[in-house]
Amino acid sequence: MRKYVAKFILIMLLIFAFGSMTFAQDEVAVDTWEIHFLNSVTGPIASIGEYMSWSANYAAAKINEEGGIRGKPVEIVIHDTGVQPDKGIEEMSKIVDDVLVVMGPVPEAVIMAAVPLAVRNGLFCMTSSTSYEYTVEYFPWTLSWYPPTEEKLPPVTELWAEENPEMEKVVQFVEKWAAWPGMAGAHTIGLNNKNVKVIDVEVPKDAVEFSSLVVKALAEDPDGFVLTCNPDKAGKIIKELVNRGWEEKDNILVFSSADDTALYTTGGDALNGISIYNYIDPDSENERWLNFKQEYKEDHDGKNPGSLATNYYDSVYMIKEAIEEGKLTGDPAKLAEERIKIRDYCRNVENFKGIQITWSMNEGLPTSKPIFLFEIIDGEKQLIGKSR
Amino acid sequence: MSSTLMYFLGFSMTYILMAWSIYLPYRVKHLHFLAVATMAVTSYMGGILSVNFGWSFLPTLLLSIVIGALISYLISHTIGNAPTFTVVIVGITFVFIIKTAIENTDYLGGTIGLFGIPVLDHPLIILFAFLLVIGYFLYRIDHSRIGRAASVIFTDENLAKSMGIKPKQIGMLFQTISGGIAGSAGVFYAFFVGSLFPDFFTFHLIGTLMTILFIGGYTTMWGVIPAALILRGVPMILPSSIASWRLLIYGVLLVAIIATKPKGLITKKMLWELLKKRSGS
Repeated sequence: MRKYVAKFILIMLLIFAFGSMTFAQDEVAVDTWEIHFLNSVTGPIASIGEYMSWSANYAAAKINEEGGIRGKPVEIVIHDTGVQPDKGIEEMSKIVDDVLVVMGPVPEAVIMAAVPLAVRNGLFCMTSSTSYEYTVEYFPWTLSWYPPTEEKLPPVTELWAEENPEMEKVVQFVEKWAAWPGMAGAHTIGLNNKNVKVIDVEVPKDAVEFSSLVVKALAEDPDGFVLTCNPDKAGKIIKELVNRGWEEKDNILVFSSADDTALYTTGGDALNGISIYNYIDPDSENERWLNFKQEYKEDHDGKNPGSLATNYYDSVYMIKEAIEEGKLTGDPAKLAEERIKIRDYCRNVENFKGIQITWSMNEGLPTSKPIFLFEIIDGEKQLIGKSR
Repeated sequence: MSSTLMYFLGFSMTYILMAWSIYLPYRVKHLHFLAVATMAVTSYMGGILSVNFGWSFLPTLLLSIVIGALISYLISHTIGNAPTFTVVIVGITFVFIIKTAIENTDYLGGTIGLFGIPVLDHPLIILFAFLLVIGYFLYRIDHSRIGRAASVIFTDENLAKSMGIKPKQIGMLFQTISGGIAGSAGVFYAFFVGSLFPDFFTFHLIGTLMTILFIGGYTTMWGVIPAALILRGVPMILPSSIASWRLLIYGVLLVAIIATKPKGLITKKMLWELLKKRSGS
């Protein structure tokens, strides 16, 4: 009898020891999940960088309220690149050896400078604010948050042209900065598809006064305008157009990157009636979105979230899912293996429940994401339509 | 070696090269910012030659030295003995001309930048070896008759002329050598970083190089070495939130050094005294 009891105890001990070993293998090795974010919170797109940082921190706060990731809190560590590619490389070099995943960089020039360093070191970059053409070179170590620019943007300018069928010729104000010339080209494709002629007028990067530009544009005798320039400049140009007697406001289209606080503070009442497109639907009834929007407005003097405001909120949640689904530990000894698990999960996530829409990724490309076209009435956006 | 250390050393050495290219013409009171424009030209030339034509590093480097020197030589015919202010204006003008030309040339990547330049396998070893060669070359110049003549020009150009020294020839020579060094720095930068952006070659770079030169000390070639290491290193060690204040830090440092040690941290006199002490002991 004693012999059987001894055998039983031994077997139980072995089972317990094996179980403990297995458990220990999956045990979280970090006190806090640090998610590093290479953002531009100073420089020409500081206002966009601010709300992207805000949304990442907001997501982290919500996750921590819900118990963290695998029981550990999450912290967003912001690295400011100031839109300087060499600073982007410098900041990336500080983290590339040690971190599990990085969000950003932002924007395109910094992506193309700093991501090669991440690729050489096997670090996955959640480049969640840009399009396919700026990240595909670095696949599979990046993903594309949006479809290629020349696929995603033409339908929205086609939609705008359909809403304003009297337009035959438009002037597009283009600022040659980062990805904006490419976006301007995509706007032109859509308008040309609807037989609308497009004349580009360059907006100098250092311009502060726009009367001569507007006079030059009006001399073309256009039926409408597209603004592909920074929000402050877009606001000033629209004001100048209105001051010079332009009345058909719905024939003015502002592109998504200018959908920022600076547009509304600069443009003021002159924006009433203009069209604008972006990637988020402010009228979504999703509860998470309603809370997000309310808290955003409280922190931003009543302004609505900008066009890219939700991207890094969703990114933080996607990383959370990747860590939980892959049972990642954050153990430095497993760094390379766990980096790949995050990468593969995010690039092929299925039915990801974003703050606004549910979507899937196929090898780093989103399967479907809408773009929304709005009219601005008293500072608020009213949906005109959406394109996919 | 950690990536942080590698990039710190690589950037620092490139900045030392560039600071030397500013230092040498300043021996005759020429603040030769044309070096920054030259760096932009040769870095993009190196990038295009390697990406589109498959050139390897060494021939690209050699060509860049020749092209850099040639650009500076041609322009030095006009500003070889011009006042400091004129040389500064010419340099800054060229920087903005080159930057604007790059931004408006799609072949060079326009505003987005030029990418995919093959990165050197052992950049630090090559950079360090090249730095030693250039350092030795500058040391020889500093301690030659030309170097001594330059010191006289710096003190009093009329006195130099009365002694039979030809300021224009020396100015042209130093500007040409400076162009060659800046040309090489451009190619090193391109092959170290792997991508190029017009926004890098702006007043920001000029300001950083000037800070390195005047904090380190403009009377000797050694000053820029600790200055480049400190000024590049501090933002890399500091947390990102503080590193963003680097320009302010540079500005405060520059004002403080100019106020307390107008010739910079390391001066010729200091080095002489150190040498005398060593030989005395």
